[in-house]
Amino acid sequence: MSTIAETAPRAQTRRRMRVDGWRWAGRIFLVFMLLYTALPMIWMLITSIKSGFAATQFPPQWWPDEPTLASYQKLLDPQNSVGQDFLRFFWNSLFVSTVTTILSVIVAVPAAYAFSRFSFPGRNFLFFAVLLRNMFPAVIFLVPLFILMRAIGLINTHGSLILTYLTFGLPLAIWLLKGFYDNIPVQLEQAARIDGATRFQAFIMIVMPLSTPGIIATAIYSFIGAWNEYIYAYTFLSKNEQLTLPVGIQRFFSENTTDFPGLMAASFMMSVPVVVLFLVLQRYFVRALTEGAVKH
Amino acid sequence: MTIVTGKAEARRKLQPGRSGALRKIWAHRADYAYVLPAIAVMLIVIAYPIYYTVELSFFKTPPGLQLRDKTFIGFDNYTTILTSQVFWKVTWNTLIWTLGSTFISFVLGFATALALHRDFIGRGVLRAILIIPWVISAVAASYIWKWIYHSDFGIIGAVLVGLGLADQPPNFIDNVSTVLPSLIVVNIWREFPFAMIMMMAGLQTVPDQLLRAAKVDGANAWQRFWHVTFPHLRNVSVVTMLLLAVANFNSFIIPWIMTGGGPSNASHIWITHIYELAFGRQRWGVASAYSVLLFLTLMTLGYFYVRALSGNERKEGSA
Repeated sequence: MSTIAETAPRAQTRRRMRVDGWRWAGRIFLVFMLLYTALPMIWMLITSIKSGFAATQFPPQWWPDEPTLASYQKLLDPQNSVGQDFLRFFWNSLFVSTVTTILSVIVAVPAAYAFSRFSFPGRNFLFFAVLLRNMFPAVIFLVPLFILMRAIGLINTHGSLILTYLTFGLPLAIWLLKGFYDNIPVQLEQAARIDGATRFQAFIMIVMPLSTPGIIATAIYSFIGAWNEYIYAYTFLSKNEQLTLPVGIQRFFSENTTDFPGLMAASFMMSVPVVVLFLVLQRYFVRALTEGAVKH
Repeated sequence: MTIVTGKAEARRKLQPGRSGALRKIWAHRADYAYVLPAIAVMLIVIAYPIYYTVELSFFKTPPGLQLRDKTFIGFDNYTTILTSQVFWKVTWNTLIWTLGSTFISFVLGFATALALHRDFIGRGVLRAILIIPWVISAVAASYIWKWIYHSDFGIIGAVLVGLGLADQPPNFIDNVSTVLPSLIVVNIWREFPFAMIMMMAGLQTVPDQLLRAAKVDGANAWQRFWHVTFPHLRNVSVVTMLLLAVANFNSFIIPWIMTGGGPSNASHIWITHIYELAFGRQRWGVASAYSVLLFLTLMTLGYFYVRALSGNERKEGSA
């Protein structure tokens, strides 16, 4: 891993012979940040391929004497009761996150478009009201939402989570998308209107395609938020077969407190989908932040 | 969806007037259709809970959420909180946690963004690796670090012993004086990438000509940063720090999973404490009063947040 950081400075020094103190400080700092970021994750991976016995040695085995994939096999084996649970949690998380993502795009796109294009009374007030949602912690809403969900019969269903998660994603989604729409010239739509398109057609055929990066960024954000959410899932769901991954893993390992390789393997597999998704689509995300949030 | 009149559309950026407000709302009725779904969801999940929390905070509630039996007690819940010692302990922890995490995350993220601003081989890969902690679940992060800090088999303890810096592995998270800093390290690990992304985005908006001009005029690297780059990034910095502060103030998972607030409340912050009061000890009324206090604190922060955001907009308007 560190080779990446080390080859870079060498290429630079060849180009410029003058030693620049700030640049060296920057390189050393980057190496430090890389170690800080990567070492915990590497240690997670190394632990996950140890046996339970090898993980609980002092001093620790820096690299396992006998690497094994037993923990992964156990978690992914549908015949095994542990594997059954893990795969069910995984599926639950996937279902809840996907539905949340689709719904939040459907809700955020028209709202952001309206905040960008129309100037109805109360527009600024509503916009900031939506943004303010970001300010409030889950705990404030937890007790009343718990009671509300129980009253409308959504407790112990994935619907309660989907409805709640929608509101996490929405503020940032609307904010990002509004930035995008602000940057799309109105003239494009007006041209389409002159050619006979309705406003809705112009929106679907001109504005939507141009804002795809923003929509993708919005979708990633909602998905990751829903995938990683813990506190509502922890409070709203009590039946084992409905748990999402974060809560399921926590429940499981509060009973099996010494299975560190299993815990690390589960943490790793819980992280894989969101990390892959993010790495594949990250350029959209960074671009959306630049256009939506910063230039604004 | 309905089509808006051409007149309303032409006045895209018109100022909200004072007179004929109702007529204006009626003229724009179709516009609301676009925002309605978002507002409806927000109302159900936000406005109602806020109202309910405020109401509950004035009642003494029986455990088990049999809320028909609640009795009105005025401000008693609030006095109970403000006179308890735990409250001040937890408030102090929250302050250290929020300010420490926010400030260090921001500085590390900003410095990383600056160091990554120059193009070099492997920059994209490095950036991607640095962002990963922000993406993975806080639950996973908590478990990873709990294992790293483990008092018997933790890697940090083993390294310290191996280097001869400690006789036996230190117990980071079961120790009253080290638990909070240890958790802050975990939080920063997860959070600095956010500051990094925001500041990287911000850096792209700094005009190159200005930096080159400053260089021609003989400004050194620090002067270029301090007099050209930094002033350009003031707004992004404020927004980033506020978002971080709010997120830290509201964080729950890391302390909850790693320590549950212990040992002896040393790592309880407001949120974990409220959760424990409500769902652990079933003191719904007190927990609600706590939430209202939290809410008021956040409204204050929110005021600055909105001001920072609308400051951006005003600047754009004048440009």
